[in-house]
Amino acid sequence: MRIDIEDLNVAYAGRTVVAGARLVAAEGEITGLVGPNGSGKSTLLRTVYRHLKPTAGRVLLDGRDLREVSPVQSARHVAALPQERGSDFELTVREVVAMGRTPYKRAFAGEDATDRDLVAGALSGVGMEGHAGRRFTALSGGERQRVLLARAFAQDPDVLVLDEPTNHLDIRHQVELLTLLRAQRRTTLVSLHDLNAAASVCDRLHVLHGGAVVASGRPRDVLTTELMAQVFGVRAVVVDHPLTGDPLIAFDHRDPAGAEAAVVSGTGRGSHSAPGHGSEG
Amino acid sequence: MASTLLRGKVTDAAADARSLPAGPVALVLGVTLVVALTAAVAWGSTSIPPGEVWGVVWRRLSGEAPRPGTNDLIVWQLRVPRALLAALVGAGLGLVGTAVQALVRNPLADPYLLGISNGASLGAVAAIVLGLGAGGALGLGLSGAAFAGALATFALVWAVARRGGGFAPLRLVLAGVAIGQFLSGFTSYLVLQAGDEQQTHSVLFWLMGSLSGANWELLAVPAVAVPVALLWLQARARGLNALLMGDETAAGLGVDVTRLRRELFTVTSVLTGVLVAVSGAIAFVALMVPHVCRLVLGGDHRRLLPVSALFGALLLVVVDIVCRTAMDTQELPVGVITSLIGAPALLYLLDRRLGSGS
Repeated sequence: MRIDIEDLNVAYAGRTVVAGARLVAAEGEITGLVGPNGSGKSTLLRTVYRHLKPTAGRVLLDGRDLREVSPVQSARHVAALPQERGSDFELTVREVVAMGRTPYKRAFAGEDATDRDLVAGALSGVGMEGHAGRRFTALSGGERQRVLLARAFAQDPDVLVLDEPTNHLDIRHQVELLTLLRAQRRTTLVSLHDLNAAASVCDRLHVLHGGAVVASGRPRDVLTTELMAQVFGVRAVVVDHPLTGDPLIAFDHRDPAGAEAAVVSGTGRGSHSAPGHGSEG
Repeated sequence: MASTLLRGKVTDAAADARSLPAGPVALVLGVTLVVALTAAVAWGSTSIPPGEVWGVVWRRLSGEAPRPGTNDLIVWQLRVPRALLAALVGAGLGLVGTAVQALVRNPLADPYLLGISNGASLGAVAAIVLGLGAGGALGLGLSGAAFAGALATFALVWAVARRGGGFAPLRLVLAGVAIGQFLSGFTSYLVLQAGDEQQTHSVLFWLMGSLSGANWELLAVPAVAVPVALLWLQARARGLNALLMGDETAAGLGVDVTRLRRELFTVTSVLTGVLVAVSGAIAFVALMVPHVCRLVLGGDHRRLLPVSALFGALLLVVVDIVCRTAMDTQELPVGVITSLIGAPALLYLLDRRLGSGS
């Protein structure tokens, strides 16, 4: 299944956060959403998994307006991994994953063989099959994220929507999670902060800036020195990754783009040499 | 180094949630509840053998005439309604606690946190002190005043807490706590205005919760409301599970979060109103019961709801036996015993939560 987003406007807390966004997540491809903080990535994704309603424009699931479909029906096709990371309640890993079956179950219905197979498959798919009985709150950040991904897999969706799935994960867990996603070959719409990860993993990128899509296309075509300066406000060059051949964005971490920003950070740097910081290392 | 490794291992083992199967737990609770109900009817100022208890119940249910010289009246008119009221109120408090904890996504929440019981108390105390409640007896007039107070508070909290048609958990709790405190200020003022010792006594008894007003008429409303609420909640058990993980996750699972919260707040408020109207504000049961059940069964509401109802019923039946028999001279309010058990239990649970880290 594919997702088409047409001229989408979304307001959040009284402010228009997404303004006229247009993009496509094509069948079987990983479509990346990148952009600076506050550019509307999360808000746009929330509209796709129906946490928010658009004020104008449409989200189409295989050509059908999402608003014509009941929330339960669309949850059978679209599974989400929001940025929420859990719960203080005594849920086990298996119970969390089994929640993925929610849109398929009528009131009072128990688990059947299909549910059990899908839950077991989802757990082993993320390498957590031995942890079904553990308490969700007792897991490490990386384990939690894999369990939440398994919950999305258990939903047996045609489309996966993931909001910054690698946030707060160490590099090993980031690579593992992205490898899992690539292996899925499902239509995937994912927002990522790490532009190099996005360049390696995504088939197609959409760059959001101020709530609108300002560039779309293959990572190599989209991620340019000019875009880095204009949208992200940083100096960077794009080279070939020595190991993979993917585009590799080399940032200048010493100075942002533009003279004005450089002056601001220059004065900031000089005045922040607090003596207390030395003891932390 | 070795000690940290060891500690790491211990925490790992403790992290494994060893949940008991729900079926056997429910069966044991159910059987124990029947035994406790029998004991509640058998024990008291006049002891009645369990055989005679069931004999009276059997004759009444099969429509036979009561035998003269037996304890028919004590069993059927006094103790059976009271034991059943304890079971119904306990079951209702267990349910409403479970549901409110999911509603505001906080395992330490309590229906009284949302201010409903403060409103019910104000209604009842106003009825007693201002003389609407016929001598302070726990009659239907008093229950009516309490329920009216509960509904008015529900409307007030709703109006304050709503935003964009839905309720954010924190906003709901803050509105409930603030309005509840405001109303209990009025209640305290009214208590000071109470005319005589008799009035003060009935007010205090009511505020602490009591089942002493039980009779067959009083049972009617909770006997319908509690089972209906159980079915209604059970039908939405998966939605409640999804709420625990967060609103966005729940939305992604096809749950209409705004509507579910609205309905949950309504159903829990009405049920709380019904319970407080027939028994006063019994402390801690609604907080403790779901918590204990979660420790034993885990957090899945499909198992948690019916078992919380059973355990709540059992707990309150047993507590009421203690209240009636602990002192020779007078009866204790149920709330005294539930607080004496509940407060240490809460401290233990808090300690356990803080101890478990993260």
